[in-house]
Amino acid sequence: MGPLMLSVDAVTFLEKEGLPVLKSILAAGEDEAAVRAAQIGFPVALKISSPDVVHKTEAGGIRVSLKDAAEVRQAFREMVGAFTSVNPGRRLDGVMVQEQGSGAEVIVGMLTDPQFGPVLMCGLGGVFVEAMKDVSFRLVPIERRDAREMLEELKGYEALVNPRSGSIDLPALEDFLFRISTFLEDHPEVREMDLNPVFVTSRGVRICDARIKTG
Amino acid sequence: MINEKLARLFSPASVAVIGASNSFDKLGYHVMKSLVGNYRGRIFPVNPRGEKVWGLLSYPSLEAIPGVVDLAVIAVPAGMVAETLHACGRKGISGVVLITAGFKEIEDPGGASLEEEIKDIAGRYGLPIIGPNTFGFVNLSSSVNASFTSEFSRIEKGGVALVSQSGGICHLCGFLAIEQRVAMSKLMSLGNRCNVDFPELLTYLVNEDDSTKVIALYIEGLDEPRRLLDVARLFRGRKPIIALKAGKSEKGDSASRFHTGSLAGNHAIWKGALRQAGILMVATAEELLDTAKAIDSCPLPRGARVAVLSGQAGPGMIASDALEPCGLSLSSFSEETQRRINDLLPPIAIRTNPVDMGPAWYNPGNIIEILKAVLDDNGTDGVIFLAMYASANLKLAEGMVEYMKAVDPFRKPVIGCFTAPPGIWDGPIGALDRRKGIAILPTPERAARAMANLWKVSALTNAKGVRTWDR
Repeated sequence: MGPLMLSVDAVTFLEKEGLPVLKSILAAGEDEAAVRAAQIGFPVALKISSPDVVHKTEAGGIRVSLKDAAEVRQAFREMVGAFTSVNPGRRLDGVMVQEQGSGAEVIVGMLTDPQFGPVLMCGLGGVFVEAMKDVSFRLVPIERRDAREMLEELKGYEALVNPRSGSIDLPALEDFLFRISTFLEDHPEVREMDLNPVFVTSRGVRICDARIKTG
Repeated sequence: MINEKLARLFSPASVAVIGASNSFDKLGYHVMKSLVGNYRGRIFPVNPRGEKVWGLLSYPSLEAIPGVVDLAVIAVPAGMVAETLHACGRKGISGVVLITAGFKEIEDPGGASLEEEIKDIAGRYGLPIIGPNTFGFVNLSSSVNASFTSEFSRIEKGGVALVSQSGGICHLCGFLAIEQRVAMSKLMSLGNRCNVDFPELLTYLVNEDDSTKVIALYIEGLDEPRRLLDVARLFRGRKPIIALKAGKSEKGDSASRFHTGSLAGNHAIWKGALRQAGILMVATAEELLDTAKAIDSCPLPRGARVAVLSGQAGPGMIASDALEPCGLSLSSFSEETQRRINDLLPPIAIRTNPVDMGPAWYNPGNIIEILKAVLDDNGTDGVIFLAMYASANLKLAEGMVEYMKAVDPFRKPVIGCFTAPPGIWDGPIGALDRRKGIAILPTPERAARAMANLWKVSALTNAKGVRTWDR
């Protein structure tokens, strides 16, 4: 693997490692995108895949809830058109066709600290992580009680478990943190990682997007 | 091996003070002052001039001392430390307190290389060193003050061990401990941690030191924090460990292109790592001492439900307000408990939690009975007990002391707050404090915080953990 893996490469790598991901396939052209979307099942999301784009949302590189082949084709054309006109010179790998995610958004990440070594982080996704820095940390490896305590420590924990915000499978999320810790132990070459967002529903946990730095 | 040597270092049968002096402006003077008249073992001042030091016969060198020396306290200039350590090694000394500064803590790179050299020498002789760059240690359990501050001997003997990365914090906490009746087993600064570091001390204090009941750490920063955390995790549930970590303002790596990297401040990682290791992190020096005192004095609670008993309504209300933000709740009394309280208190006061005990002011017997009734309630895990002095209740505290004599030790924590003008209740407060499960702290809010920390320590050592942490 390369030193920096983005979106579809990272998601595919994690899937091979047995981690739960949203089905994701890279499509080079409009026809292929429509075929892949049908294979995955509607609705789908499309995401620009470029090594030069870090924040896809800000770059207009994400379209969601596309219901049929026609919507996929139109979205594909618009996204690629906008990307090439706004960003001449930037590299384009294609467009990632992805199973539409839903549920509560969380971020799970890892960094390599000079003193502590590998550190696992989790937090509530979206605005919570950006604006409130509502995250918690543990050293890798963690035990199951650490996974639970990492979640309970979050200021937004009550919101996460409140049935009115949609019920989530909390034990599955705890198990997911534990599995990520095990994955990191098995892969000491991973230096930094963002799994963001990760969707949690009553049916389980799915990684939607990922960035992994190795070295 | 290291534990045996540390045991002799902390409880030596004899001490040599190298650099012992009669002149006030030398640290060797102050080390002698700490030992003479306080330490019961043999003291050997070492001074090249060979005159009497602090009235004791001095020796020109370590070699000149007849017989075994367990501990050497070194207060000589940095340039003389290497040869002094060789002499200690040849003499077969068990351990060293190296007060001398001027090693890796200084800007001059010569300091760091000197420190490497002394580390090598210590390694060759298997010589544990507290320091360099330390004020020393005080072992109150066996009356050894091997420090340059004699007044630390005034701290009461008890179960709190403070292991610090800073001598200044020991001076802050040591004198506060005297003022607030925190009773200690040991107080020490590890200085530059040449070869005795937090993991070695934790192992010794947990496994070997029966006098230590709770370990309080002050941490500034460590190159290898996992060594400490791994040892603490191994000892989870053996002895409570609490820690004050300095450096809250250190920011995350803003250069990181990853969310995780940019969000990960050093303090946030410490926070998670300490909890993972079963160590309770506290926010201030005051909280470190309050919590240590409460753990040393009280049984750990089994839950977070607290009764507030107050001689006056207002302090009871602010104590109640302080409970929830730190993860505690006001308990509800059973019918049986409420009946017992109602029998002891006329209905002119609020008799539900928080209980206003005002009407029982003149009857300390009834006050103790209310306390016992509430502690007997299965729905209450701990009690905050508040009494403010007023001229009319002068006899209250003394009366409580009398009634407490016949009371069995409480099996739940009672944190008390007795406020009176200096000199008025001092005797009875001292007689109630740290006895039978009671700890006395200065304010209702600090009592609530310490109660919450007792509950957290209980939860950290219990497999189920705790759901309601600070929010």
